[in-house]
Amino acid sequence: MTGLLTVVLFLPIAGAILLVFLPKDIPGPIKGGGLLVSLLTFLASLAIVGRFHDGIGGFQLVESHAWIPQWGINYTVGVYGISLWLVLLTTLLTPVVILASWNSIHKHPKEYVISMLVMESAMIGAFLAMDLVLFYVFFELMLLPMYLIIGVWGGKNRIYAAIKFFLFTIAGSLLMLLGIIYLGFQQVHLTAGGVPTFEITQLYGLSLPPHIQTILFFAFALAFAIKVPLFPLHTWLPDAHVEAPTGGSIILAGVMLKMGTYGFLRFVLPFFPDASIHYAPLLICLSVIGIIYGALVAWVQPDMKKLVAYSSVSHLGFCVMGIFAINQASIEGSILQMVNHGLSTGALFLLVGVVYERRHTRMLADYGGIARTMPVYTVFFVIAMLSSVGLPGLNGFVGEFLILAGSFQTHPGYATVAAIGVILAAIYLLWLIQAVFFGPITKDENRSIPDIAWNEIAAVVPLIIMIVWIGIHPNTFLRRMEPSVQQLLATVRGEQPEKVMTASLAAAATRSPVAQTLLSVRSGARMRGRQGLSVGVQGPKGAQTEVSVLRVTR
Amino acid sequence: MPGIPTNYFLILSAILFTIGVCGVLTRRNGITIFMSIELMVNAVNLTFVAYARQFHSLHGLIFVFFVMAIAAAEAAVGLAIFIALYHHRDTIDVDEANLMHW
Amino acid sequence: MTWADTLLLLPELIAATGASILLIVPVLGGRARGHMAKWAMLALMAVTALAVIGSTYAVAGVQQTPTFRAMFAVDAFSVFFKLLFVVVIALVTLLSEDFLSEERYSTWEYYSLLAFALCGMMFMASGVSLITIYIGLELLALSSYILAGYYKNHEESTEAAMKYFILGTVSSAILLYGISLIYGVCGSMRLSTIAAALSTMLSNDALMFGIMLLAAGLCFKIAAVPFHVWTPDVYVGAPTPISAFLSTGSKAAAFAVFARVFYVAFPAFHLDWSNVLAAIAALSMIVGNLAAITQTNVKRMLAYSSISHAGYSLLGIIAMNEMGLRGILIYTMVYVFANLGIWATILMLRRHAYAGESVEDFRGLHKRAPFAAFSMVVFLLSLGGIPPTAGFIGKYFLFAAAVQAGFGWLAIVAVVMSAVSMFYYLRLVVAMYLEEGSGAETIYSPSLRFVTALSLTVTLVVGFIPELPIRQVIESSSHLVGRVVQR
Repeated sequence: MTGLLTVVLFLPIAGAILLVFLPKDIPGPIKGGGLLVSLLTFLASLAIVGRFHDGIGGFQLVESHAWIPQWGINYTVGVYGISLWLVLLTTLLTPVVILASWNSIHKHPKEYVISMLVMESAMIGAFLAMDLVLFYVFFELMLLPMYLIIGVWGGKNRIYAAIKFFLFTIAGSLLMLLGIIYLGFQQVHLTAGGVPTFEITQLYGLSLPPHIQTILFFAFALAFAIKVPLFPLHTWLPDAHVEAPTGGSIILAGVMLKMGTYGFLRFVLPFFPDASIHYAPLLICLSVIGIIYGALVAWVQPDMKKLVAYSSVSHLGFCVMGIFAINQASIEGSILQMVNHGLSTGALFLLVGVVYERRHTRMLADYGGIARTMPVYTVFFVIAMLSSVGLPGLNGFVGEFLILAGSFQTHPGYATVAAIGVILAAIYLLWLIQAVFFGPITKDENRSIPDIAWNEIAAVVPLIIMIVWIGIHPNTFLRRMEPSVQQLLATVRGEQPEKVMTASLAAAATRSPVAQTLLSVRSGARMRGRQGLSVGVQGPKGAQTEVSVLRVTR
Repeated sequence: MPGIPTNYFLILSAILFTIGVCGVLTRRNGITIFMSIELMVNAVNLTFVAYARQFHSLHGLIFVFFVMAIAAAEAAVGLAIFIALYHHRDTIDVDEANLMHW
Repeated sequence: MTWADTLLLLPELIAATGASILLIVPVLGGRARGHMAKWAMLALMAVTALAVIGSTYAVAGVQQTPTFRAMFAVDAFSVFFKLLFVVVIALVTLLSEDFLSEERYSTWEYYSLLAFALCGMMFMASGVSLITIYIGLELLALSSYILAGYYKNHEESTEAAMKYFILGTVSSAILLYGISLIYGVCGSMRLSTIAAALSTMLSNDALMFGIMLLAAGLCFKIAAVPFHVWTPDVYVGAPTPISAFLSTGSKAAAFAVFARVFYVAFPAFHLDWSNVLAAIAALSMIVGNLAAITQTNVKRMLAYSSISHAGYSLLGIIAMNEMGLRGILIYTMVYVFANLGIWATILMLRRHAYAGESVEDFRGLHKRAPFAAFSMVVFLLSLGGIPPTAGFIGKYFLFAAAVQAGFGWLAIVAVVMSAVSMFYYLRLVVAMYLEEGSGAETIYSPSLRFVTALSLTVTLVVGFIPELPIRQVIESSSHLVGRVVQR
């Protein structure tokens, strides 16, 4: 069946268009319709997994149609190992969100469901797009529904948070647009009729001069770093999370932030390999600062939602570190950790929303001992929390372990500091559990909170299942991403005939510790290609063994 | 070509044009400003005529007629606007025109 | 002059004749039937549009047909703009309906002036000699001065007309001086002859001075910094439909002239003038957007936004390449429709004589007029250049042109300022959707609804299926681009 990806991509938006014609005053059928559409999308996306061939690194199920032929812009979509699970995560989280907001969204339910469905399409589109301009269109299309979700259904300072979110993101993405245009026109002279190309598979082989790589690297990296968000650019995130409704937070943390890390993997590394290797220490440094800073700030938060929001800054720091460690284990870990974070943080936001619905407060001080009144709820919360902490047997462990194992090969110092972040995560999350669930009940209101409801259970159970599945059988997921990651690393290392390292870059690279390691390892080796890379060659061997050990012990 | 060199006319018209610009910038009475604008336009007309004479071409001369006709139309419209303004506030001093930020 | 020449001139002849007829109808006793004027005007627009389309068949297969001693040409470029102008004037007619019937001003003269303005704009689009262009420009300008002061019982309107008149006549005197210097250097006012003369000429001061003065005069028409001071006051003071006209049709005509003159006549000296225009463009974008942020009056905000859009469009002229010329065409179209849609919404929000003045008037609009509020969001996003609206396509063209031409820094200024512009566009979205409140009362007449719907359709269709409009734009501009390549 060709057209499967298009179906998955446009099903939510088609559903949203149908919902437009329903009358406003029947919230039940509207939410039901939204749920149905998102479940259908999820089923269709399962078919993608079914038709996905393991062992192929390139794009699969590719569809291509001319969209704006005069500019060489095509509607081209395809899926590969790196995007496969992120698409699944998106289609899984959307029904979860609609279920979770079943009883909590009273204002304009129709518009809410429509926004969610439009956003789902936009996110899937951004993951699938193989044309840079198409990607940009979906990347921007995500903004408006999220802006409305925060701005209309958010908390007290929602307007401030929504505008801040919007402006931060758009500032970065507009600069990326310039980068995209520039990149597309790099090949104009190569094609017939001077039509630029934005097909990423054609751009992967491009060897740009170093100074241009540097400029473009920063144009793209800025957009993605804001989205992740990386340390100094993270200030919009806590505001957005605190003000957003539960559903908005789940989508924001669960999927939208992954656009940033995904963008690094899909565009920044393969397009600008030399610049990426050269500036990898900078990004790793920023992400380690983010890991520690996020954890410390989370520790002192009195507000549960803010605590989870800052823990996101910390966790996504791991993802970025894994990406820029540039080796097989760390990148696989990073992709897995993106999915993990979507599941565990999504579940945590959802569960925080559950008590907020009942008590209209998120302050830790207002709770205590509710394990007795809400036993089922407590079980779910503790599992999600332990997954976030990285307890062996749950998904968080696998991801963080792979990232740290991979990073130790290339950046032992940073990896050590980052490992402290894991410990800090355990401290603040256990502190949260202690303060909210155990101890004596100090507030009378907490004696009579109703336990978790059916729709909330239905929403959280799939997440818990996935958390456990990834924890005990990560190979289901790693197996499918492996070839694509290998191919990515090959691209970054410049294992293509036309790649010749320029002298200035060689000089620049030799100053970096990565390159020095490499040069000491393979002194006298041919002086070509992205060498930071060969460390990658060396490192993964150790990491590979780690991975296989893990698979054996499971 | 016998007679006065073209450059002399050009310099004269540049001076006239500058005087017109200065008038627009410094005068406050609407009518005086409008007269300064007319001076600018006529300085340009002088340029056209001078060039037309140099090129032995009719184009410049014809254009001058068009410009004169347009200047007349401008005068009609301008005076009408000033009269309307005078109805409102009994003055055509442009500094008084401050209902909106200038 | 032959019969065929007259045929080519038919659209302008029809517009001028129609305008004259509209003018004498009240004298013949038509004053009582003021409501008929709208239909007469719309019929005139329809006939003019047919004539424009017909004129393309008269020149079928010929890229450009100059006539009247090469002062006037019918080509795909001019046809594109003429059709755009006719549509703009027709939509402005619809916008004016309620305004005229409420304020009891004479309708026939009003429409007559609009038709004369249209005639001037069409001459501007077809002018291939500086003479024709100047005369067309003045016909447009004189009609606009009167229209800006049409609200003569209101002091603001008269004051706006006065400011517009003084600054407008000064700028056209400057433009005229530029023309005279160019004439003196090249010995001709025909654009193609000028280009031929310049191609063998070294840079000289008189010529550069002439080009700069000409550019200054045109920059006044498009409201680029530092020739923009009239814009906010005139947009606020003039009758609202006229503000809509000035910010769309009038600017579009000026851009048609700007593009033709610079692409046809001055490619040889691109290096000399492009940096000056680049500075003007950068200033327009920066000043326009930063000033718009501080405005509380929506019309003033739109005025500053229009100043910034003049800066974006200038990118297409500065770039001097295929992308740039096409960018001007498509961006002008996109901008015109988004703006007309916004003005229609402003007109809908009525409070006494002046409508939709403050941001508060927009509060909670999505409850009172959901369609208008939704369209408004689309228009604002289009102005901000957010996909998948038409504005993205337009900005993409212009940014790509600038990047291609090596004006990377200017493109960066443009994107940063686009991000800034979202800040004040979002303020209206916030007011409409996120703030509760009663706002102003709304009168959503069928005419306004039609204008909104048409603008919305164009904005979305160009955004989603840009292929067709782009093909049209390429066809409309290729013969001018050819000259650039020859250079």
